[in-house]
Amino acid sequence: MADNSIVSMPVIDTGTIISSILIILIAYLCIRVITFILVFISERAGQYRITVKMVLPLLKFSIYGYTIYYILIYILKWESSQLILFGGLLGAGIGFGLKDLFADVIGGIVITFEKPYQVGDKIKMGDYYGEVSDIGIRATKIVTPDDNLVSAPNYLIFTQAVASANAGASEMMVVIDLFIDSDSDAVLAMKILKESVVTSKYVYISRKRPFTILLKDFPFYRRLRAKSYVNDLRYEFEFESEVTRRAWKEFSRNGIEAPKVNILES
Amino acid sequence: MGNDKIETPSELIGFREEIANIQTAIADFESGRNLNVAIISEPYAGRTAIMNEIEKMILQKVTRFSFSSIVKNKDEIILSGPSKRIVLIDDCQFLYMRKIGGFDVLEYFLNLVSNPAILFITTWNLYSWKYLDEVLNIGKFFPVQINLPKFTTYQIKESILSGYKKDEIIFVRDVEFEKEKIINFMKYPVSIKSWKKTIELPYFKINYDFLKLRLLKKEEIIASEDIIFGKIHRVSNGNPGVAKIVWQRSLEYPTIKPSNVKDESFNIELDYNEAFILNLILSMKSITNDDLSEIAGPDYQVGKIIFRLSKQGLISVEDASCIIRPEALKSVIEFLKKLRLVW
Repeated sequence: MADNSIVSMPVIDTGTIISSILIILIAYLCIRVITFILVFISERAGQYRITVKMVLPLLKFSIYGYTIYYILIYILKWESSQLILFGGLLGAGIGFGLKDLFADVIGGIVITFEKPYQVGDKIKMGDYYGEVSDIGIRATKIVTPDDNLVSAPNYLIFTQAVASANAGASEMMVVIDLFIDSDSDAVLAMKILKESVVTSKYVYISRKRPFTILLKDFPFYRRLRAKSYVNDLRYEFEFESEVTRRAWKEFSRNGIEAPKVNILES
Repeated sequence: MGNDKIETPSELIGFREEIANIQTAIADFESGRNLNVAIISEPYAGRTAIMNEIEKMILQKVTRFSFSSIVKNKDEIILSGPSKRIVLIDDCQFLYMRKIGGFDVLEYFLNLVSNPAILFITTWNLYSWKYLDEVLNIGKFFPVQINLPKFTTYQIKESILSGYKKDEIIFVRDVEFEKEKIINFMKYPVSIKSWKKTIELPYFKINYDFLKLRLLKKEEIIASEDIIFGKIHRVSNGNPGVAKIVWQRSLEYPTIKPSNVKDESFNIELDYNEAFILNLILSMKSITNDDLSEIAGPDYQVGKIIFRLSKQGLISVEDASCIIRPEALKSVIEFLKKLRLVW
């Protein structure tokens, strides 16, 4: 009997399925092993931690991409006409409900190559703020300061602005505000805040990463603002806390007071 | 001082250019151009030797001060007394403390060195200098900055052997060293938190000294000598002071063999507070326990931290002062750089 179909369907037997599953499993294991080794190395690489982790998403996408290619070409032995058919079916699938998953995968590829953020960065995406622990095929994992693991779908990159506090560097700027009474000696307070910052065990200062101490007057109080870099973004809150604590200790020794409660009479 | 060149002693053989630069700064000063000098190096790297040499060269014209512990009071800095117009000051890192209110003495000192009538030649610990240059921009007060370079293997060899007569030291064939392998398989412990287990990952380490010996195929004695100084250079990381100490500890007078030069590896395990205290010690090279406690403040249990640092072989405690151990210097610097405590 003559074959009337336009494209002959590939024969998928048990062996083909087992081979494909095995190859996917090997790819998955490879990624796990590489991830483990790279994370192990990066955590010991100090300031180069983020640089080492940077290659992880690229490796993941490359390995998964090559795995799919290998299965289609060498296991299923599809020809170009069959690939076109598969493309059509995939398009239909996307239309019927896989579009979010597809958008996530494309989002993942965009994140990998465009690098709006990288593994190890501190980012703010939507309502979430934290350190990027993984950029996966479907989602980006963020560890929040409260140690919650948030999985943000990769497609958010197309719909929401993402703020990266450090953009691939280990250090990041931390803004520390202290409020003092208007009658207190602001010059002395600025000197103390400056020395609290520069003597902190977490501070990082260089020509490109300078520190600044600013003063602003408000009706009933003054705001001192220190802008400086923490040497490792993981110490962001420790840095802020240490500077604040030491500065206030010195403020009270020097008679610099917190703002008093004022009532504005109408 | 004129243009008469004084021959550099062989122990300062790696610093010829630096000494020439200082001579130029002195000559410029005498012709009316005052450019204060800062000689900067890591601990043990030869700052004092250079200052001794400068003092010897212009003995009649200089006054010399040395700080050996942290200066806490402005009155302790008395530079106005001498009529000499060139002042040498050793170890200026002792003029500040890394704490709130710890920069006042240094600020006062920087005002003093702004006096155009006096040339100040100062020495600084490299890590204190880098810190202070970022925080206070002290570099602008010392237009001539001389960073002491690392010695090459040849310079280390020449510097050390200058203290002995020709053929006084016997470089012996080393049976233990000959038995060594070019590639050694080692095991690196890796703790996996989720399994609560420690596994040992195999890795290989190349024995460069032995490989070099095999590749060179020179005469036995020459090869041994080269290997010894190559090893000393690697252990000391080109630091002449450390190299000398390693040499002295390896020498079984009058013989020395490659296997005697021990490459102590330090697997440093410290928490952040301990690392910070170690950084304070490195920045001073030597600091009293009391000063350390004063800088660190009440939040640190300095006594316990000193015990931990000492137990890991990173510092030694002598006369209630903490001193960075020369053998550990290289590992300490690498460790603190990783933590970004040293910039």
